[in-house]
Amino acid sequence: MTVREIVKRFTFIEIFQGMALTLKRMFSHAVTIQYPKERRPISPGYRGLHALTRHPDGKYRCVGCGLCAAVCPSQCIHVYTSEGEGLEKIVERYEVEVLRCIFCGLCVEACPYRAIALTEHYEFSSYNKDELYMTMDKLLSNWDKYMAGRKDEEYFKRFWRPMSEDFGTPPGQAVFKGKKQ
Amino acid sequence: MNISNIIDQQTLDALIKFGINVLIIILKIAVVLGIGLLHVAYATYFERKVIGHMQVRLGPMRVGPHGLLQPIADGIKLFFKEDVIPAQADKVAFFLAPVIFMASAMVNLSVIPFTSGFVIANINVGLLFVFAMAGIGVYGIFIAGWASNSKYAFIGGLRSAAQVISYEIAMGLSLVGVMIMAGSLNLTDIVEAQEKSVFGIFAIPQIIGFVVFTIAAVAETNRTPFDLPEAESELVAGYFTEYSGFRFALFFLGEYIAMFIMASLAAVCFLGGWTLPWYVLKVLPFLKYVPGIVWFLLKVYVFIFFYYWIRATVPRYRYDQLMAIGWKILIPIALANILVTGLVKILL
Repeated sequence: MTVREIVKRFTFIEIFQGMALTLKRMFSHAVTIQYPKERRPISPGYRGLHALTRHPDGKYRCVGCGLCAAVCPSQCIHVYTSEGEGLEKIVERYEVEVLRCIFCGLCVEACPYRAIALTEHYEFSSYNKDELYMTMDKLLSNWDKYMAGRKDEEYFKRFWRPMSEDFGTPPGQAVFKGKKQ
Repeated sequence: MNISNIIDQQTLDALIKFGINVLIIILKIAVVLGIGLLHVAYATYFERKVIGHMQVRLGPMRVGPHGLLQPIADGIKLFFKEDVIPAQADKVAFFLAPVIFMASAMVNLSVIPFTSGFVIANINVGLLFVFAMAGIGVYGIFIAGWASNSKYAFIGGLRSAAQVISYEIAMGLSLVGVMIMAGSLNLTDIVEAQEKSVFGIFAIPQIIGFVVFTIAAVAETNRTPFDLPEAESELVAGYFTEYSGFRFALFFLGEYIAMFIMASLAAVCFLGGWTLPWYVLKVLPFLKYVPGIVWFLLKVYVFIFFYYWIRATVPRYRYDQLMAIGWKILIPIALANILVTGLVKILL
């Protein structure tokens, strides 16, 4: 044992250094956020509870194409459609099993019509599973409750741009634009 | 009918005197017990607060302003918890263990001189009495470990017995220096001897003894970094693993009172008890008018804060390290300290 080691051992110098650190920390500010009273600000583009968006006139945007259901890795989106009188597609049921969702946000990216969104609401724990099985009505009301007043255009522009925009046809290419009426 | 017809005046006077003395003692016991229990309640609160802030957390905040009612909530919870007794437990010993542990810790409160003249039992072997009671406390721990009939509790009890016995030697030897210097085992006399001594407090001439005592006191009360009997990562909760509800509360109470006893012992034997060193009084003479209990409690709580501080800083020692520190370092140092103190006492 060298002299240095002996001095170290008998003066407890290392323990005192550690104790100086803890004492210094005692007078520093605690990092705790006291949750129900204080909340940390939600980051922009937070992926919370699902919602179905609406047109400005109040009708839902979903057309029932099923891309969201197809891309969903946990297969928690179920879309049921039927044929309307004018041979158009009617979305009968649009359901999300929130308990199976992994909040990856692929459905939002996949949707070409910005029909589905993930709101910034994250406190939706419940004592039964039924409350967390989102039907179409619940999803639409989620939008009204948690994202109303927000400019959804801007929200989608910044965070959830439909991926189809990135992979659209180049402007020079000839495209079939539908029959002229 | 006059009472003096039956009992003669002298006996009556003696009886009244005796009665008044008993009443005073009972009053003192009530005060000390009340303060002791309140101390335990808020010692837990301050421990959580201090350690919390040292770890950059807040500690209890919800019950009452800044969590001030947390100890009361904890107490109520412990009272109403289910009292589970393991089916294979040795019932009598299981019931007895927490009582032995807490009683042996609380009895020590009776010999601690809180301030000049305020001591429940001013006995001549006060220091020895504290040691004896600390020794009996080990039985509580060991019986608890045995009676629970659980391997964790049993190993915890074994470890605790080994640890407390080894560190009691170091602690006893470290206090022998104080005994030599004061020439007494009476705690009140020790404080008065310090008041008259050149240094004012024994912590200065007995610095080695004080350091050894501090380390041994932490080990003796099974606190971090020597809390191997209740090492969570290995032994669940150690010797009180199987205890719940009020019986657990008794162990808890005993542990915190033992901490208080050790802190008071440090204050009385090394830091001058309720007195201040003469040189402090010479510089700041107005401090004379502060009641002695303030200084006593201040010293005790500084020592208890030191316990918390160490707990927030130092991780747990390994078992062989613990034994090596006790037997190979502390005991030889304490013995050398006694030798030097004795030689100085003889030569001067």
